[in-house]
Amino acid sequence: MLLNIMKIRSNTATFNRNKLRNHWTIILAFLTVCLQTEAYADSNPESSTASPKYTRSEAVYSLPNIEMLRHDQVKTRFPQELDDGRPVILNFIFTTCSAICPMLSGVLSGVQNKLGDEIQGMHLVSISIDPEYDNAERLKEYAAKFKAKPQWQFYSGSVDNVKTLQKAFNAYRGDKMNHSATTYLRASPGKPWVRLDGFLSSDDIIAEYHRLKSSHSSNTGGG
Amino acid sequence: MIPQSARFRPANRNVLRLLSGHCLMALSLAILVLAAYAEPSAADSLEVELGRRIYREGILPSGSPLKGLRLGSIEVEGAAAACETCHRSSGMGSLEGNIVAPPITGRFLFATEDNRPTALVDVSAPKNVTRAHTPYTEQSLAKAIREGVNVGGRQMSPLMPHYVLNDAEIKAVTAYLRQLSKDLSPGVGDDTLHFATVVAPGVDPNQRKVMEDMMRAAFSQRNASQQNYSGRMRMPIDLIPRTLRNWELTVWELQGAPETWGAQLRENYRRQPVFAVISGLSNTTWAPVHEFCSQEKLPCLLPSVPLPPAETAFYPLYYSRGVALEADVLASHLRKQDNKATRRLVQVYRDDEVGRGAAQALTAALRDSDIKLEDRVLSGQNPSALKEALTGLSGQDTLMLWLRPSDLAAVGKTVKQAPERAYVSGFLAEDDYGVISKDWAPRVRVIYPYEMGDKRQKTLKLLNAWLKTWSLPLVDETFQSEVFFNLLFITDLTSQMLDNLYRDYMVERAEDMMSLGSNVSAYPHLSMARGQRFASKGAYFARIDQDGQLAADSEWIVP
Ligand code: HEC
Repeated sequence: MLLNIMKIRSNTATFNRNKLRNHWTIILAFLTVCLQTEAYADSNPESSTASPKYTRSEAVYSLPNIEMLRHDQVKTRFPQELDDGRPVILNFIFTTCSAICPMLSGVLSGVQNKLGDEIQGMHLVSISIDPEYDNAERLKEYAAKFKAKPQWQFYSGSVDNVKTLQKAFNAYRGDKMNHSATTYLRASPGKPWVRLDGFLSSDDIIAEYHRLKSSHSSNTGGG
Repeated sequence: MIPQSARFRPANRNVLRLLSGHCLMALSLAILVLAAYAEPSAADSLEVELGRRIYREGILPSGSPLKGLRLGSIEVEGAAAACETCHRSSGMGSLEGNIVAPPITGRFLFATEDNRPTALVDVSAPKNVTRAHTPYTEQSLAKAIREGVNVGGRQMSPLMPHYVLNDAEIKAVTAYLRQLSKDLSPGVGDDTLHFATVVAPGVDPNQRKVMEDMMRAAFSQRNASQQNYSGRMRMPIDLIPRTLRNWELTVWELQGAPETWGAQLRENYRRQPVFAVISGLSNTTWAPVHEFCSQEKLPCLLPSVPLPPAETAFYPLYYSRGVALEADVLASHLRKQDNKATRRLVQVYRDDEVGRGAAQALTAALRDSDIKLEDRVLSGQNPSALKEALTGLSGQDTLMLWLRPSDLAAVGKTVKQAPERAYVSGFLAEDDYGVISKDWAPRVRVIYPYEMGDKRQKTLKLLNAWLKTWSLPLVDETFQSEVFFNLLFITDLTSQMLDNLYRDYMVERAEDMMSLGSNVSAYPHLSMARGQRFASKGAYFARIDQDGQLAADSEWIVP
């Protein structure tokens, strides 16, 4: 997508004057064209996530060393913030997103409630992809709306840092409006991330989490 | 003239008001009377109003919250369950990621082959328009709403909740959907789309002329390109059939005191209703225009004004919070310094709307901080006033100058010795830093809400090329880039709206599209989302280098 934008930009630069004068739409061309991307070719109403199924994959992501602001106003460093040993469940959201994020957050809220005491040793992480609007205060309000327990924390940062982080998680789609429903799980630092694309219920996530933990402990003999 | 309130309040609200009062008698009377006139009957209006509350607010006729279920167990309730969150207030739907909440107005749901409307679902794939489907019946619609099964028999995305609604409630929602976005908005003619721009009194005539010339050039270019519809270089989006409408621009020039602007705007609007107000200029208040836009339900997109009202509304959208944003940026910067850095902050401002607004914003932003804030107010053109305002300053003081270039020029002449640090408002300084004296310049930091240097030149290339093509002058880069961005933005928005020219839909599209187009403005990036009303949210601190140019002295700061 970015490449596309650059390509179109250089195209527009080579337009000659007459074309510029005669075709307003050409000037606009890049505005529309640059948004065309193969990745969303399947995004028509008939084919979009018709069923609640989700896809699961595993990946090792190398995370950037950056500063991120937590919703309790504390400046934190990534990836250390995720590497304190606790299992992590992570997603990307923004507070003024109307459809997908409330659902993702509702699901995580369900996860923390259903896990009961098990939540104590875990870290739930929601990262804002609209960081300039979602300052710590707004994230705090959002956390309260979903009755986030202390183990569930929300993060914001500079536009560049958040972009870098999304890229590291292979979740960057050029703009917040293009973001997708993805949940990441990791048993402990150094382990691969389990990536879940699609809409999962709280029970789905808990099942995935337990599956991850048991395979992790059987691989490493516990710990 | 009919009073404002009577003209624009939907009849159904009145019905509810009757209900909520203690005059059920009056209601039944009203139903009898209105029923005689048949269209629309009060009973219908009541049903629509009940449907509206479900759709917009997530409140059932009983007063209890609307409830839905997702993935079998996750409950959504009340406002979070309201149809509006996904299908939006226009009913024209939304797109998030690759998930489409389709248009669900009566026109779309019940359309048959011969009257099928089209909406663009996904701007990233312009061929992606709403699909033809078998017309919904009341029954299949109920099934979609309750069980999440669409008219084609497909189990829909789990994003669409399964609602718990009884028959009467389903009927109410259906009645609401049938009338939602049924008629095109005012300002849309058969072959014309009317726009206005607003110019407040006291604006520099040159600036006004530049804006108007740019807009007229863009309009005629756009109208001409529509004539050449068979041109080679067309975008996929242009292949979708739509009614061709010529754009027409009216300039609403306001006069006199702000208290009288509302009446002037209404009179202008009465003479020529417009679909939207685009750009606009003021160097004083903008509140009466803002109010007019919200009352009239008129999109007022991205005027160039230094002080938008703090109170936001659905229809007016802005580039930024103007001087109030600068005040917050400064306050957040000063609060982060160690205490000793700033003992006393003296803010100097003109006794006008913008000066007072800026000063109030800074006062509010520094409340409960250790910094002592002192106000010095300038009024009149007497040079002694400035001298007086700047007396008693010590070298350790910090200054905030909410001043325009003529006053900034006078500052250095009045007081030779600059204080330790003087901040200058980038919005008010109009990119004219040559006026700041040699003694002061090194001590000055400009709170600068725009991009600088090469990055800026890159984004402004297109503006420059376009101005050349039309032999238009470049006199004020930041301001002209705002107008230019807006013209492209509106062209883009309206072309994506196809024939669905509804004002609320335009605002919804604007919210979603702001960050998706190419940024041709002097701002580093512009972005909005549902409910956000200011596209740019930060500023730099900049120093003034030898040749009067700005160079960044900080990161982009978002307070
Ligand atoms: C959280 C988001 C959300 C909310 C809230 C919501 N919807 Fe939907 N709705 C969707 C999505 C997404 C689809 C498309 C699903 C698909 O096609 O797989 C949809 C589809 C529909 C359809 C089918 C349209 C068609 O073209 O087939 C109808 C009808 C509908 N919704 C009505 C409603 C009503 C009425 C309400 C409120 C009572 C509502 N929706 C609330 C997200 C939502």
